[in-house]
Amino acid sequence: MPREARVDRRRYLQAIGGTVATLSVAGCQSGSGDSQTLTAGTAPGFPPFEMKQDGELVGFDVELLEAVIAASEYELSGWEELEFKSLIPALNNGNVDVVAAGMTINDDRDEAIDFSDPYYSSNQAIVVRESGSFSPSSLDDLSGATVGAQKGTTGESVIKDQLIEAGTVPESNYNAYGNYVLAVEDLLNENVDVIIIDVPVANSFVADRPIESAFVHETGEQFGFGVQSGNDELAGALNSGLTTVEDDGTYRDLTEKWFGQK
Amino acid sequence: MAAILLQTADWLFVANNWGLLLGGTAVTIALTVSSILLGFVVGFPAGAIEVYGSDRARRLVEQVGVVLRGTPLLVIIMILYFGLSISSSAFVTATIALGLRSAAYQSQIFRGALQSVDDGQLEAARAVAMSRFEAIRHVVVPQALRRSVPGFQNEFTIVLKDTSIAIVIGIGELLTTGQNLYEGGQSTAALEIFLAVSLVYFVLTFATNRSLDKLSDYYAVPEGTT
Repeated sequence: MPREARVDRRRYLQAIGGTVATLSVAGCQSGSGDSQTLTAGTAPGFPPFEMKQDGELVGFDVELLEAVIAASEYELSGWEELEFKSLIPALNNGNVDVVAAGMTINDDRDEAIDFSDPYYSSNQAIVVRESGSFSPSSLDDLSGATVGAQKGTTGESVIKDQLIEAGTVPESNYNAYGNYVLAVEDLLNENVDVIIIDVPVANSFVADRPIESAFVHETGEQFGFGVQSGNDELAGALNSGLTTVEDDGTYRDLTEKWFGQK
Repeated sequence: MAAILLQTADWLFVANNWGLLLGGTAVTIALTVSSILLGFVVGFPAGAIEVYGSDRARRLVEQVGVVLRGTPLLVIIMILYFGLSISSSAFVTATIALGLRSAAYQSQIFRGALQSVDDGQLEAARAVAMSRFEAIRHVVVPQALRRSVPGFQNEFTIVLKDTSIAIVIGIGELLTTGQNLYEGGQSTAALEIFLAVSLVYFVLTFATNRSLDKLSDYYAVPEGTT
């Protein structure tokens, strides 16, 4: 039974175009009108900021946001767990109202969403094997080394902007990983000489793996809670909630609990 | 290297968390079953329309099928969840995404099977006074369904493993549960968890394939022994 293809490339593209147009219209209709209860979004897998332990979502961001919202007139209805890269689309589309995911405030993200005041400052740790002889003390010492980082993180930006761009490290010497655990794994496998990750995350790995932080590269990046672009009311409530928990000592207790000496 | 990667303590960690992995497995199975069923309910009629339908219906089904087959599953899931927000439940969204994609593939499995039944069968059925619909329903479809089992088996396995893509909208299925375990608990156990999760996928695939083999044998058209 001869059968010719009835859908050519042009028809396919037209169909796709129609779908995209429908979607952009759908995207304009905004989400729920209920402003009092909030759904929070996060991406577990970023210890000690957010991770799953025994099936429960725990971490610094989780407890901090819960404390901040408790100090405001809003109520938290629950947490949505998504992949990190899904968080901004989820926020924009109203699937979640606020994001607490160790998200660094930067210009690119600031264009897509709004941020609360910064609630934590972080730098990047340059991590090496404990038993290795390689112990760099500045980015210049990494000349010719193989380096690794998690895709889409500030550690990757440091490698791209300050090592590859400057010619310290050839691009072929950079390995990108889907998450921090695999980066650490590959460091131990001796496939890379150093990995660059957030200081608090490095500390939580150093505690249970034979790795150490060689030095800290100051990036001065700051974490903020993400809210929908233009939702000034919620951003304001989060900011005053942050002030409250800083003043009443809750913030200090939480940093001690999650970043204190192990 | 193996000594670093495959430590007893890490296997113990996997064993201690078997309950969580089992929960993830249950979600994986539920998602597979609901998606396959939706795929069958939509895909079988779609396949039949492509063979017997009117020109207009056939063209419509074909075009929708091409779009669904030509778009990566990840994109379908993201569009349904973040774009159209068809449901606030990630599970329902993932079922619809996986189900529609599967329907597009299943329609081709069934189209091929229906077309493989000799035209003479239809003519013979008509000759004994069956209507066209009756002839298709009672003579062609039973034979076609039998022939579609191998292709269906394939599709089942694909859907089972593709449920892991639902991780992107945060469904706690098997792979997500595994990933959460090593990211939040014992980070050294990554490889052990991957191996354990792979083993579960293997067992599930093996079991479904064997069951479908049995089904295929049971319903096979009896053949002469000479």
